[in-house]
Amino acid sequence: MPTIRFEQVEKSFGAVRVLPPLDLTLDDGEFTVLVGPSGCGKSTTLRILAGLEELSGGEIYFDEKPISNLASKERDLAMVFQDYALYPHMNIAKNMSFALRLKKTPAAEIETKVKRVADMLNIGHLLDRKPAELSGGQRQRVAMGRALVRDASTFLFDEPLSNLDAKLRGKMRTELAEMRDTLDKNMVYVTHDQIEAMTLGDRIVVMSEGVIQQQGTPEQLFKEPANKFVAGFIGSPTMNFLDAELVSEKSKLWARGDGFNLPLSKEMTATLKGYSKKEVTLGVRPSSFSTDTKAGAPIELRLVVSEYLGAQSTLVTKCGEAEVLVEHESSSPVRTGGTLKFGVRTEELMVFDKETERRL
Amino acid sequence: MSVQTNKSSSPAFYALMICLIIMAMGPIMLMLATSFKTNVDVNDVNVGSFFFTPTLRNYEAVLCNVLWYSPSSVDYCDPTFGRALGNSIFIALVSTAITLIIGCMAAYALVRFRFMGRGPISMTTLLMRMVPPAVLLVPVFGIWTFQYGLDGTYTGIILVYVAMNLPFVIWILQSFIVQVPIQLEEAAKMDGANPFQVFFMVVLPIIKPGLAAAAIFTFRIAWNEFLLGNALSGRGTRTVPVTIVNSITEYDIDWGVIMATGMLLAIPPVIFTFVASKQIITGMTAGAVKG
Repeated sequence: MPTIRFEQVEKSFGAVRVLPPLDLTLDDGEFTVLVGPSGCGKSTTLRILAGLEELSGGEIYFDEKPISNLASKERDLAMVFQDYALYPHMNIAKNMSFALRLKKTPAAEIETKVKRVADMLNIGHLLDRKPAELSGGQRQRVAMGRALVRDASTFLFDEPLSNLDAKLRGKMRTELAEMRDTLDKNMVYVTHDQIEAMTLGDRIVVMSEGVIQQQGTPEQLFKEPANKFVAGFIGSPTMNFLDAELVSEKSKLWARGDGFNLPLSKEMTATLKGYSKKEVTLGVRPSSFSTDTKAGAPIELRLVVSEYLGAQSTLVTKCGEAEVLVEHESSSPVRTGGTLKFGVRTEELMVFDKETERRL
Repeated sequence: MSVQTNKSSSPAFYALMICLIIMAMGPIMLMLATSFKTNVDVNDVNVGSFFFTPTLRNYEAVLCNVLWYSPSSVDYCDPTFGRALGNSIFIALVSTAITLIIGCMAAYALVRFRFMGRGPISMTTLLMRMVPPAVLLVPVFGIWTFQYGLDGTYTGIILVYVAMNLPFVIWILQSFIVQVPIQLEEAAKMDGANPFQVFFMVVLPIIKPGLAAAAIFTFRIAWNEFLLGNALSGRGTRTVPVTIVNSITEYDIDWGVIMATGMLLAIPPVIFTFVASKQIITGMTAGAVKG
């Protein structure tokens, strides 16, 4: 399993630069998730790694061996495509064994390998069928199986679950997570879905406009986002951002804005000493609100809509003119149109620089 | 439903259908009937078109050298037709094969590769098709005869048919190749296929319906072509249409034999079309990628 290192890799399509120079190291045996909104360059990064796109500059190293001039098949990679890309004229067994047959693997070996992977993915009974006769979920498994049969050192996944319906996606996600634990392989997984990223990744690389915003474990990204983009991208429902001014009062820093006045924790007061009287963006997770007003600093919110999700509801509220999402236990009902009092756990607040959007 | 029934049950509709059927089938029926007539009956105004004593003499005359018995009705066995049929089959099959091989590769290159002049080349291939064969006749005859000495050879005729059919085949196959999802080729690349393997093992099987359609088209043109075949073939390489015309002489027009030859001429393309059209199925990429 090689360590994969991107060094100043860049990509332009004509005059359009989709990937400014990018440095990235993927450790041996790690499940790395590249995540970001559409058009952030994550798929391009993966395709460059796969050898499906040529890079316009820089170099990729596998264990310090440059590989950018190697063809896809010489890189020892297997890839699962977003829209399956199964060969329609071959049955499932032939689809899965295509790579092995190209390598002139003995027929008996091919059969045992295909059988083993097919059983692992519960598609053993489908081997004689054509892709057209399979459901979306089954096709997705075959696409996965085709990669797994290869026994390559690194597996690439290009949004493999995005074409499945929500229920199936959840199921496949769990299976992938199981697979991740049993296979000792490098895996690079591209997705725009932060839930997939959080549940699957050993390490998540958040990208935006071709630039890596932050990389780290799911917990790091959630608790210590480097900037406003990462904070807003990771976590569901998304973080609330409120314009605020930092005011020093009673030996404490207060974040004051339209409809709220929240004290910052001691540690934050210490680190943000120099920012008194500055305009900042205050980040509050929807989960930081508590119906128990004594649990934190009090805040009053005007309820607009309550989105019932089962045990939890997401309340869409207004704080002054700004929209604020609140995670709320459905067991204590609320009335639309009224004003509600919440306690904000101030130790979970985040403060971002208004200009640079970096977390302070 | 009821509206449709009303429409199709109107007498005028049936009259029109019958007219069209007569126009389409009439000549063929007449040819079939005539092929079973003796020469005397053909020229006798008192014998009806479809009411006469049928005979197999004409067929025996045409097929005399391939039959397992020597027909008593034939005094002299002319081997021309048997030879011409062989020539026709050989020329049509070989030119179809060559056209398809070159055509699918050219079409693939025009669709998938980015190179200078790709658009104009794609357009001009089709423009070539707009030139009527009669215009080509004289220059081709001149070049084939005086520069390369290809007149009267199989090579010469096959070459012309390939050149004639290639533009249309490229054009048809381009539209089929465009429909092959690029992800399939990328998947094959990742699976370790080289460009030739991608083409022959993934793209070609998928565009089989296109190849079949192109094959039917090419085979029929090569089979029926008369003008260039007449000019370029020699005594030993004549195709069936040329032979039929050559059998009409100033002294004798054997209508019965000509019609029998015509009937036999129609059989191979019918068989070929049936076989090839089995490959024309819809949904060639069904299940390949999420639609």
